[in-house]
Amino acid sequence: MIMRSGQQLLLPASPVFIWCSLLVALLLDMLPLGRVPWMPDFLALVLVFWNVHQPLRIGIGLAFMFGLGVDVHQSSLLGQHALSYTTLSFCATMIQRRLLWFPVPSQAIQVLPMFLAAHLVELMIRLINGNSFPGWTFLLAPMLEALLWPVVSVILLVPQRRAPDPDENRPL
Amino acid sequence: MTLGTLDRTPPPIFKQGPSALSKLILFSALALFLMVADSRFNVTRPMRSVLATALYPVQWLSLQPVRVSREVGAYFITARQAQSQSDAASQTLATQAIRATQVEQLTLENRRLRQLLDLREQLKVDSMAAEVLYDAADPYTRKVIIGKGMSQGIVLGSPVIDEFGVLGQVTLVHPLVSEVTLIIDRDLAIPVLNVRTGARSLAFGDVGGGGLELRFMGSNADVQHGDLLTTSGVDGVYPPGLPVARIDRIERRAESAFARIHCIPLALVSGARHVMVLQPQSAQIPPRPAEAEPAMPVKKGVRS
Repeated sequence: MIMRSGQQLLLPASPVFIWCSLLVALLLDMLPLGRVPWMPDFLALVLVFWNVHQPLRIGIGLAFMFGLGVDVHQSSLLGQHALSYTTLSFCATMIQRRLLWFPVPSQAIQVLPMFLAAHLVELMIRLINGNSFPGWTFLLAPMLEALLWPVVSVILLVPQRRAPDPDENRPL
Repeated sequence: MTLGTLDRTPPPIFKQGPSALSKLILFSALALFLMVADSRFNVTRPMRSVLATALYPVQWLSLQPVRVSREVGAYFITARQAQSQSDAASQTLATQAIRATQVEQLTLENRRLRQLLDLREQLKVDSMAAEVLYDAADPYTRKVIIGKGMSQGIVLGSPVIDEFGVLGQVTLVHPLVSEVTLIIDRDLAIPVLNVRTGARSLAFGDVGGGGLELRFMGSNADVQHGDLLTTSGVDGVYPPGLPVARIDRIERRAESAFARIHCIPLALVSGARHVMVLQPQSAQIPPRPAEAEPAMPVKKGVRS
């Protein structure tokens, strides 16, 4: 087991927590906040996170299914989010062994091109399908997602950073 | 340290499953197939309905914060605002009362005249109130989701109005919710009638967003700034006489045979909360008479 020096040993991830975090991200995506092109896609972020940290549990097939759900919710063309999430998940699988060797801020820079590619895939499908261009502010979405990467890394790893043997002095 | 307290497990050596690349190819092909099936052949509707029903609890949950904030906001509305709203409402009521009393008389008169002229009676319109749940969060199209669906008897293609005019048309019906495409969506067209001149035309959603465009009107057509457009009722969908839009800007260009006419929708396309779903008119319209045999043209030089 080779790890980056200074990295903390983590507890095993609980599948219940993984699924709950995915559902919460889906809820955040579904909040009726209006039509904003630069709204970051929380579900994509959490999917990539678990794809990098737990590649044996969360993979390309699940990303595809969640993409279908988002398509139905947004009543957009069935399959466009599915394709974009599949691409995203593939890229995440490709870089997951390398990514965890970097400190978290560098990881954020490395995931930025992936999110950009996913948004470009979506834009391309829209334009082919005859939708109009939403404006350049949509480029802010992948940047916001990359900026949220450190935040998500802290929040979603909290349950795994608990002490393995909690006692009175160390309840968590 | 006890067993099972470390996250790091060695990767499996033999049971790797299909490679990431083959999965990518498989799911991309599936997604492309779904997209083509959805946009060209319309065969994915049952699948959408199933997924939408499965997603309904999550959607309901995500709407709760908005509902709560609205209710809290409504609770803290000041007495002055409530007073002014009530004043405005009673004023509107007074102005509408004059017209409403006339309507009785006019309906009677209209019926008598129609009987005299032996015309078909005007079609009845059944309606159903619904609440707008949310705007589709898609920045590329203009759609809203309303909280009534197939189980409440919403029919595909029904016109949707709010208190000011036509809002759009139901384009997708799920068991519990349905999707309304607004008249300003670029894929929706609505047949309209200019009330001042009586000319019929078609209004399309504007590509720029936020308005409507009257297309195929000649550059010398009689349209003026401020003309009211209502539904013409010739399409078998919208009942006649519902206000749709008002003409805002006319650009007559020398190089083009058509004028570019920009209209502003009267309905609250970005803020409607309570809407009425009407039954489409096509159910009540009698079927077209069977095509008669085309008369044979008499050939030149043939004498009977």
